[in-house]
Amino acid sequence: MAEIGSSVEFSGSLSSSALPPPRTRIFKIIVIGDSGVGKTCLTYRFCAGKFPEKTEATIGVDFRERLVEIDGEKIKIQLWDTAGQERFRKSMVQHYYRNVHAVVFVYDVTNAASFRSLPAWIEECKQHALGTEVPRILVGNKCDLQDSIQVGTDVAQQFADTHSMPLFETSAKNPNSQGDSGGANSDHVEAIFMTVAHKLKSQKPLVLSQPPMGSGVTVNLNRGRDDGGDGAKGWGCSSC
Amino acid sequence: MKRLRRKRQKAGVVVNGSFSREPDCGKKHKLAEINQALISDPVDIETLRRAAASKGGLLTDELRRKVWPKLLNINVYDLPHKPGRDVRDSHKDYNQVVLDVKRSMKRFPKGMPARERAALQEQLIDIILEVLKQNPQLHYYQGYHDVAVSLLLVVGERMAIALLETLSNFHLRDFMDPTMDSTKHILNYLMPILEQVDRELHDFMVRAEVGTIFALSWLITWYGHVLSEFKHTLRLYDFFLASHPLMPIYLAATIVLHREKEVKQTECDMAMVHHLLSRIPQDLPYELLIGQAQDLFEQYPPPLLAKKAALQSRKSLSISTFQAFQLSTLHQRPDSVLQRLTKAQGSTASRHGLEAALPGDRGQLWGKGNRMVKMAVWGLSATLGAAVFAVAQTALDWGPDVLLQLF
Ligand SMILES: Nc1nc2c(ncn2[C@@H]2O[C@H](COP(=O)(O)OP(=O)(O)OP(=O)(O)O)[C@@H](O)[C@H]2O)c(=O)[nH]1
Ligand SMILES: [Mg+2]
Repeated sequence: MAEIGSSVEFSGSLSSSALPPPRTRIFKIIVIGDSGVGKTCLTYRFCAGKFPEKTEATIGVDFRERLVEIDGEKIKIQLWDTAGQERFRKSMVQHYYRNVHAVVFVYDVTNAASFRSLPAWIEECKQHALGTEVPRILVGNKCDLQDSIQVGTDVAQQFADTHSMPLFETSAKNPNSQGDSGGANSDHVEAIFMTVAHKLKSQKPLVLSQPPMGSGVTVNLNRGRDDGGDGAKGWGCSSC
Repeated sequence: MKRLRRKRQKAGVVVNGSFSREPDCGKKHKLAEINQALISDPVDIETLRRAAASKGGLLTDELRRKVWPKLLNINVYDLPHKPGRDVRDSHKDYNQVVLDVKRSMKRFPKGMPARERAALQEQLIDIILEVLKQNPQLHYYQGYHDVAVSLLLVVGERMAIALLETLSNFHLRDFMDPTMDSTKHILNYLMPILEQVDRELHDFMVRAEVGTIFALSWLITWYGHVLSEFKHTLRLYDFFLASHPLMPIYLAATIVLHREKEVKQTECDMAMVHHLLSRIPQDLPYELLIGQAQDLFEQYPPPLLAKKAALQSRKSLSISTFQAFQLSTLHQRPDSVLQRLTKAQGSTASRHGLEAALPGDRGQLWGKGNRMVKMAVWGLSATLGAAVFAVAQTALDWGPDVLLQLF
């Protein structure tokens, strides 16, 4: 099989028999970061609702999607899960930067090198004309591995601030394991992608011109960080 | 290219001579034919190639262990040693290789005990790093491990190193550049094939802007990454090992063409078409598609495509060295002789003879020219006789270079 249970990914909310109506808006989100940081696991978690038992190296680009409802509007969220190895970046992933609406940068909190690669990834994005006007978020994955953390929250937050991105720390494997803040949150990964979707929905010119509706849904993230609603600064709407 | 002169209907009905009529006898007959080819002196490589590509491929792993080395001109009595412990020391790709191999569980047979699998995964890491270390011009790519594991599972560690090394320097060479530019170039052959066969489909895909990345993992892993049934992977490996390095692209074309209706019914959108195509159906009619790929290759050979599609004449190492590579396989001794010779020589034979002797771009010898060269080889072998073979370290050492200079 091409990818971990690809068919399952569609069974959750979007079945082939129930094609979305033509007006369904599509949010395209590209997920990038070093090899092994967990891009495939995160996107799979969001689209299939669980941690994949086995992942394989992503070769080129894999595509997952899920239909969600935000404020009564059905929206298709398309996630482009890209290959992490550097050689794939330049000539291969290129094609997929076009027309994406948001970028998710991922690093592995247990792997400092993956964090140090972030500037290169940000630069890569810039080269494809995905500047700060496109919503971008930073995700530190594998928070369940509390004992081997190499990238502290403070350092990551500082970096995120510098680049005007909101930071989320999570675990694709065990989203409930962050002991420090407890909370009834059931799926952090879900909340992260939904936050991006809300952000996109609240933006005016997007895909199909539809009257923007205020995003009334509160996304509850258990890290207690300012999230989705933190406006201009966090989302980098300012020019820099 | 007489081996391709089989009559097939356009719809793709494969008429495979006697095989289709008497399947069992066909298999027995094929077995006998392969064994006969293996003991011929020199080894009857044309027959082996034909067997590997025709229905059923090489039939069994036991035969693969005998025929694969011949297809790649490898002396199984002079294999590389097991990698030493230092093979893992400070290699730039070590982490990536480990990460990919650890995630390659699906490639191993389902019933295999975890310990055995773990041991094989360790070997897999070693053989990959060994080849990379011996060949600094080769750069690891994610997916290379899918090729390596397919070899390892059939032929074992030492022979896998030898096969992988040769494959990497020839068929896979373009994928192993420092960048993926050459790989992209190879992928660029896909759309022109589609354009020749089904213009409508081609135009649809162009409008969707789907690109060719959906076929990337097919190409660089020889489909090992995307097929869940190992027997299908092996069937394709038989085929590709006996074919031109661009053959995986021709097969990709047949797969897309096979799904033509589905594709055209999909929303004309990059994401949708990419998604549809990148998920390869597991029940593909492999024999049929293999036959079609050979037909397409014959009908639209690479130079023709390159011309028609104005593919920038970028140099592909895999393509430009293929001629010499094929020639080098023409004068192999059968295993019984190799065993004797190799023992007698204390196995000093150079495994790198061919690499050293690679000619530059000598133009198109493919087709008619190929036969002429072949005849020249036979002529030489006959004139010089077996004595020379025995003296030469390997037949390879004076192989392609000398011969190509004749033209
Ligand atoms: N403990 C833990 N392991 C994780 C988590 N997310 C991913 N992993 C593991 O990390 C490894 C890499 O995950 P992938 O999702 O395949 O990584 P990737 O970023 O897609 O890597 P490439 O496809 O090579 O670019 C796998 O072995 C996963 O099981 C997590 O949240 N916690
Ligand atoms: Mg991945």
